[in-house]
Amino acid sequence: MTTGLTLDAVTVRARGRTLLDCVSLRVAPGDFVAIVGPNGAGKSTLLRVALGLLRPDSGHALVDGQDVSELSPRERAARLAWLPQRLEAAEPITALEQVVSARYRFPESRRASETAAHKALAEVGAGSFAMRPITELSGGERQRVAVAGLLAQETPLVLLDEPANFLDPAHQLELYTRMGHLWRAGRGILCVTHDVNVLSHAHAPGTRAPRVVGLFQGRVAFELSHDAPDLGERLGELFGVRMLATAVDGHRVFVGLPRSGGAP
Amino acid sequence: MKVWILLAVCLAACAVAPFIGPGFSADSADFIFWQLRVPRTLMAMLVGGTLSLVGAVYQSLFANPLAAPSTVGTTAGATLGALVAIILGARLAPGGLPLITAAAFVGALGVSLVVAAIAAGRRVRMNDVVLAGIACSMAAGALATGLQFSADSAELMAATRWSLGHLPQVGYSGVLLLTPFAAVTVVGLLALTRALEVFIAGEEHAESQGVPVRRVRTVAIGLGALGVAACVAWCGPIAFVELIVPHLVRRTLGVSRRVLLPGSVVVGAAFLALCDASARVILPGRELPVGVVTAALGAPLLVSLVARSRS
Repeated sequence: MTTGLTLDAVTVRARGRTLLDCVSLRVAPGDFVAIVGPNGAGKSTLLRVALGLLRPDSGHALVDGQDVSELSPRERAARLAWLPQRLEAAEPITALEQVVSARYRFPESRRASETAAHKALAEVGAGSFAMRPITELSGGERQRVAVAGLLAQETPLVLLDEPANFLDPAHQLELYTRMGHLWRAGRGILCVTHDVNVLSHAHAPGTRAPRVVGLFQGRVAFELSHDAPDLGERLGELFGVRMLATAVDGHRVFVGLPRSGGAP
Repeated sequence: MKVWILLAVCLAACAVAPFIGPGFSADSADFIFWQLRVPRTLMAMLVGGTLSLVGAVYQSLFANPLAAPSTVGTTAGATLGALVAIILGARLAPGGLPLITAAAFVGALGVSLVVAAIAAGRRVRMNDVVLAGIACSMAAGALATGLQFSADSAELMAATRWSLGHLPQVGYSGVLLLTPFAAVTVVGLLALTRALEVFIAGEEHAESQGVPVRRVRTVAIGLGALGVAACVAWCGPIAFVELIVPHLVRRTLGVSRRVLLPGSVVVGAAFLALCDASARVILPGRELPVGVVTAALGAPLLVSLVARSRS
């Protein structure tokens, strides 16, 4: 049996459009795979298929060798956790209650759930606002609470859907650094983003590099290491700009420039 | 602490309710108190608790503060069923209350099952379900109006009386018949508390955290329909209880599902028992339909709470 998440020739069509075209991908525990691509490339669709929220028209999404759509929600929640772009906060429940709900999959007492939730909140530095309503938290604080939920769910695989989209640079740095720690601690991470530079926060200098998968119009355009010399060039093709890689303090950074070289 | 005070107040209200009302002579005291007021109060508690809990659950489930049995078609279905029974039954078997009850039950369940079937679909947004409920309500309402239009004046009076919401029972037969339905609904829905807590962050997020979303919403709507159908069948569509009580609880005790759901049962029971008691004393010598009282008392209460929390 293969552990981890495997997408096997996944194709998704909707209203005559092909959203994903024969996409194959593997994320084992201990892998960091970043899906990058322009808007509308199929990144979110790919994540929804991996989560079992969307059934592919052909191909399979497998978790630990089993089809995700055949797993019960509880079994799936034991293997995959999901960090959305932004935590919906329809009601002013406390941060603690928010994190407790991530413990739903565990057959345990309320007290045990609360203990685990407190621990997860403390781990992300959110212990001080455990009892505050999530509707009153700032975007950065709320995303920390969401990460605490991710930790509390205790899954070997973590799926991130542009989790830093609404965060300021300090919170982006914090979030991706934490994801880097989770990765090096042995979790498998699948991260969807259109901002390739956030990955440098997860990639501590001198350690293994994340894998970068370029998605374009529903197809895998390339799969390269974050270290690969031609990554900038390939990213530029993907986004339709000229992209140069440079290094700052040992971190790899990509800068997008107009294709003609001069002013656009 | 707040929770215990509220619980004590509610229990006291339920205990006091049968004593409220016009005085009665000593020789009729036994009958009026034990055969009229106590069963009426028990009925009010059952109906109030069940309706309020279903309202609170629907609001959680649909993530919509306006979702209630009356907005997703349950009440309209019951009204249609009852009207059919009143208009046909009045011709066939005069005074057949159980017939009206059975027909209202079938009507409520019928419409709710249509809505629940829609909610069970794979890729359904809850707003679509609310929309479908409103459409079903309108269709049932139109049929009901058509029936009323073709009814004669005696039938029309009976229909109007029924549709105002009332707690008319003498003796304990209604209480006994309603108890199993109310018990199944309340116990079943309270058992879903944990799953409904997870629903707050959205259905897809809940699904990713291990909640069988489709099953939970089908079961919740089914149980809600069962309880509401039973209540409406006996008492008519008692307006606003299911909408007002959860909001009262939400604004006084908070939104945590573990407080909101049981709190709605207790507060709803006390609220309707008190409304029923007030219906006996507001107009001397006459008794108002309890549905009028719930709307008249509950609406200003809700408005004042909303206004206060805004400022």
